[in-house]
Amino acid sequence: MGRILPIAITGLGCLSGAGMNLRESLENLFLNQRNPRPPQRFSTDHPVSYPVLELRDEFELPLDQQETVYARTSQLALAAALEALHDAGWEAKDLRGKRVGVCLGTTVGCALNCDDFYRAYKEGKNPGMAVIERFLRSNPATVIARQLELDGPTQIVVNACSSGTDAIGIGASWLRAGACDIVIAGGADELARVTYAGFSSLMITDTEPCKPFDVNRKGLNLGEGAGLLVLEHKDVCQNKRVRGYVLGYGSACDAYHLTAPRPDGAGLKQAMNEAFATSGVKAEQISFVNAHGTGTPDNDRVESRVLHEILPGVPFVSTKGYTGHTLGAAGGIEAVFTLACLQRGELPANIGFSDPDPELPTTPVTENTRIEGDLALSESLAFGGNNAVLILAKGEI
Amino acid sequence: MRMAIQGIGLCGGFGQGIEALRTALQAGRVEPQEVCIEHQGGPEHFPAYRAVVDQLTEFIPKRALRRIDHFSKMTLLGACLALKDADLLEADRSRTGVVIATGYGALKTTFDFLDSYLDFGYSCSSPTHFSNSVHNAAAAHVSMQFKATAPSLTVTQFEMSVASALLSAQQWLAEGRVDQVLFGAIDEYSEVLHYCRQQFFAEGEQGPVQPLDFTIQSAVVGEGASFLVLTRADQTAAYACIDKVRLGNHQVRPLELVPDERLIIGADGHKECGRWYASLLKDHPVTAYAAVYGSFPAAVGFDLAVAALMLRDRKLYLDSEGDHSSPPVDLSPAEKLSCLKFGPGGDYGLIQLST
Repeated sequence: MGRILPIAITGLGCLSGAGMNLRESLENLFLNQRNPRPPQRFSTDHPVSYPVLELRDEFELPLDQQETVYARTSQLALAAALEALHDAGWEAKDLRGKRVGVCLGTTVGCALNCDDFYRAYKEGKNPGMAVIERFLRSNPATVIARQLELDGPTQIVVNACSSGTDAIGIGASWLRAGACDIVIAGGADELARVTYAGFSSLMITDTEPCKPFDVNRKGLNLGEGAGLLVLEHKDVCQNKRVRGYVLGYGSACDAYHLTAPRPDGAGLKQAMNEAFATSGVKAEQISFVNAHGTGTPDNDRVESRVLHEILPGVPFVSTKGYTGHTLGAAGGIEAVFTLACLQRGELPANIGFSDPDPELPTTPVTENTRIEGDLALSESLAFGGNNAVLILAKGEI
Repeated sequence: MRMAIQGIGLCGGFGQGIEALRTALQAGRVEPQEVCIEHQGGPEHFPAYRAVVDQLTEFIPKRALRRIDHFSKMTLLGACLALKDADLLEADRSRTGVVIATGYGALKTTFDFLDSYLDFGYSCSSPTHFSNSVHNAAAAHVSMQFKATAPSLTVTQFEMSVASALLSAQQWLAEGRVDQVLFGAIDEYSEVLHYCRQQFFAEGEQGPVQPLDFTIQSAVVGEGASFLVLTRADQTAAYACIDKVRLGNHQVRPLELVPDERLIIGADGHKECGRWYASLLKDHPVTAYAAVYGSFPAAVGFDLAVAALMLRDRKLYLDSEGDHSSPPVDLSPAEKLSCLKFGPGGDYGLIQLST
């Protein structure tokens, strides 16, 4: 396939275990600080306590009864959307009359896994519908559209852990097609007992702070958060500050296994090649890679080998040591970090990495590292064999 | 960009395959099955449009289906039937994208996973149920079964799932990321869903569904999978073309329809959604087919299949309100059809088709 039109990024917003907004997140990333701890918002009878990266503070939205109106994933999405729109210089009233789409990735945010409700149902206690009503109100894309009174397409991408990256690629395509003037795109996900139990059942969670790409890596730490971008067609954002561009997007499926990546990385390579083809960028132009880097043995092995083959010598980092694995939000948060790091000209150290794995042909940056250049790549791998890659550029091109 | 529909694969309360749908449309109404749930207080009987998937073993050995749940089986059957209908079962699928639209995902497996830890403790959580409860598991099964290595996408947007996912399928084709899209719309019935619907709608769940009476709650729960094989419209369509997909919110910016636009509406006996149709539709010729497949968010996929079939057959099959003693009305070659679905908050998806 050929080149596609670059789409401007005019605003960024994110919150996660790394920080309550982009500024605070970057501070903590470059101070190499993280705060994994046992989950505070829920408990289980699991004999092992796995550390997670929850938000450090509560957050307030301009909503009455925030906790009961919308599920936490939607609250996170709305908080990041408001930050991103503010960053882009948009007030809600100025969006009315424009075609504004919302394209978000999530996993927990759209799953009917209300376990307290279900326990009561199983016990024949005829539980009330308040939790279900909240679930039905809480589609994160619809929540943003409703709260901001937007008119345009809404979409929740549920491609597991590549959802956020795919949502940005898809949102950009809506702009190229003329379906919207502006798109709010990215991902959001909350920490939940269900995913905590699920990932521990798969035995891919670490009992200690995660160690992406390290020889002693044992698995991931779950996290929560949201990372959203304001995307605009270049005809709409004339005379505005443009933070960067979505230059390319590629996506491919391993068609191999439900939960494990394909060992030869064929799907990831195909997604990378599509991102290069659509952006017109060559591998040697990439300044750095924000890797998926979950800290699981399989993911990091495949990813390291593909990076060594396709982008030899290019610095890379996994920021999941700071945020945890935020599942459907990860691609959104990491796209935000990718562009912010490009603008700053610096990469944070890959926290958790200390000892190289002889099986991995390449290793991440071990300290904060100056970078040159305008282009970077952010990639996500997911259950279902999904692979998604974005190529982002900073500033004017 | 227009998309051409090259194949259709279906399973729902009316049966399996496009011929089963045509037969059901000719009859105008399908009687839902009687489902029985055992409670502490005794058995409860209620109607539901359930899908049977026994034809799947014609395509995939039973042994390979052992650990695959009902949601993914419906998905695989719809995909197999659509590829067979398009004569593409043996084709190279390295340029075939997979797009799945679902309102709720794999509900039964979601609750099976909860059962595993609620019944036996968190250390006994089932990894099989967990990995199959992830929304994109069904798409993954399709990609693995057919070696479809192009992009795969699963979308969930309640009633807007189908229209929203179609928008993305359209862009994949327009940008040349894929040469064809295996597009599926799936939802499944579950006992918990029935419990919730009963709490919300009480006796309205007993049917019979009367989709064009917007003043009453008459929805009957359904399930099924509807698959389309889509290509760019530079290839001649086997059925019809999807001209345009539009999503918005009628409350924020009122939807304006073309006068006399012939509509298949997604009204399915839900009063809360019905009010939007009532407020918008004046003299438009409308039909609704919920009495053939029941009520569920992804049923818009069946509306699309009905539209495509009618455009190919050039016949307007009457809905449950029509006089089925008369033959179907002929459609002219220039006739267009649109599928319109409203969500409870006034959000809408409008999909316009022509030959």
